Amino acid sequence: MLMISTLMFENLINGILLGGIYIIMSLGLNLIFGVIKIVNFAHGEFLMLGMYVTYWMFTLLRFDPYLSIPIVACILGLLGMFVQRFIFNKLLVDETSQVVAAIGLMTFFQNIATLLWGSDFKSVRPSYAGTSVEVFTLRISITRLISFIIAVITAIILYFFLNRTEIGMRIRAVAQDRELAELMGINSRRVYIMTFGIGAALCGIAAALMSPIYYVFPVVGFVFAPLCFVIVVLGGLGSFIGTVVGGFILGILEAFIGFLINVELARAIAFIILLAILFWRPTGLFGER
Amino acid sequence: MKFRIRGMSRAQMLFLIIVTMLYLLPLFKVPILVLHIMIYTLLLAYAATSWNLLGGFAGQLSLAHGAFLGIGAYLAALLFMNSNISPWITLPLAIIAGAGVAMVIGYPCFRFGLRGAYFAIASLVFNLILVEILIAWREVTGGSLGLSIRRINDPLYFQFATKEPYYWIMLTMWIIAILLIKKAKKLRYYLAAIRESEEAAAALGIPVRRYKLVAAIISGALTASAGVFYAQYFMYVNPEGTAGVEMSVELLLIALFGGKFTILGPTIGAAIIVPLSEYLRYTLGGVYAGLHRVIFSIILIVLVLFLPQGIWGKIDEKWSLEVKL
Repeated sequence: MLMISTLMFENLINGILLGGIYIIMSLGLNLIFGVIKIVNFAHGEFLMLGMYVTYWMFTLLRFDPYLSIPIVACILGLLGMFVQRFIFNKLLVDETSQVVAAIGLMTFFQNIATLLWGSDFKSVRPSYAGTSVEVFTLRISITRLISFIIAVITAIILYFFLNRTEIGMRIRAVAQDRELAELMGINSRRVYIMTFGIGAALCGIAAALMSPIYYVFPVVGFVFAPLCFVIVVLGGLGSFIGTVVGGFILGILEAFIGFLINVELARAIAFIILLAILFWRPTGLFGER
Repeated sequence: MKFRIRGMSRAQMLFLIIVTMLYLLPLFKVPILVLHIMIYTLLLAYAATSWNLLGGFAGQLSLAHGAFLGIGAYLAALLFMNSNISPWITLPLAIIAGAGVAMVIGYPCFRFGLRGAYFAIASLVFNLILVEILIAWREVTGGSLGLSIRRINDPLYFQFATKEPYYWIMLTMWIIAILLIKKAKKLRYYLAAIRESEEAAAALGIPVRRYKLVAAIISGALTASAGVFYAQYFMYVNPEGTAGVEMSVELLLIALFGGKFTILGPTIGAAIIVPLSEYLRYTLGGVYAGLHRVIFSIILIVLVLFLPQGIWGKIDEKWSLEVKL
């Protein structure tokens, strides 16, 4: 009995810790949706590219995955700004075109990764990856713990960035009312470029946090991006707090059902939740009507 | 052209001649690879034409059509392997199943007003659910390895030793789909009105929700029947390749490339994209796996930026050929 409850608690904690990384990635997705009103279907592919950057920095330059966070974030941020500047900024009117362009980006990144680096699984395992700390007889993997702490710090920084800095206020102003913000002298296209850059950079951070825990392969985006969609929709499109809560709910749900039954079912249930929320409460748990 | 059949326009004559030539094609010694590419082109043209009814005419960008194809394919494979039911019987069953699933998915989507990107998400998620179920239900579906269909080469079981019968069947299915959409003029005009503005269409008295649902049902049913053919032709089904999002994206690419607001656009798109991708796969696939998909995703992005109406759409815009058809 004690054995089972220990395992359950370990799963609960693992779910919460993984939820932290989901939250960082979902915040990027939610920011892009909330401000630019684009559903970024290529979000998982930004994660994938970030994981490959982390992987190559680790294998070629012996860079610790956690130390490479700023570099990965910068590279992904620049890529995101490029994508917004040259693709999405030209498609601001037509929603269908945006979706199609995002899907095009998704398949492009997936296949260019396959082409360049092959489709086999790669892993980033620093020397301390196997170790774990013991808290009240519960064993917690050290990499998951570090990743979670950095994720929380990132989320807090992002929150203050959006609420307390001038750039953050510009972003929120454009999100609330684009025309009015333009009348106040804000260049909304430039804000869009900035926002997409931040969203992609968040993906980069999540990628660096994820790579010591998971594997790197060209379609790794398919594993995590759908979960991010569930989190964002569950929490409410455009809601910061909602995304945080949604991330924890999904992390715990996945850990429990994956532990009790199997992983595919956990994913299927997450998707059914997504459909149900889309139908009955499209604003999510914390979104504004 | 001097001779004319009474009541036929020049474009119709041309269409008739091309179709006759297509039917007679296998009578000449055609290399087997060419015939295979023709069949695959027609199959994807048929499926993309079905996609286009919902994704193009009705303007509801669906990412679920891989799932509909997968439903037909898995139904044919499973009923044959487990209960020895001929895929000829499965064909109408698949059409019913495709229509039923389209209704179950489409009704809540349209009832709760999911539009644009929201509909795309919902359809994508539905496709992902089906793939997860197919992978998880290993005992029946064979999991992610897929199912190989037992070969008995019996025409009664929709299995032929040569490729020619497959070709004629697929060609006939494609013609039926084209004629069906061609004849449904009222539906097409209603859907165009809905696509431009749902509010305006509703104000004109068009039952918006019902017609969107009708488009989804026909589209799903036709795609599921394409799935039955897919299973019988390739004799192999697997979750990601047959029923996956990859297939949905491929159909979307083909339809958009050709022209999403036109009847023949998806066919033109398939006639360009499929041979090209098969060629790239045969010549470079061994060395550069995924190269053809890289090229096509670039085409897709360029298309959206510079030629959103597609190749056939542009031609049709200039000479308005389809009205005369």
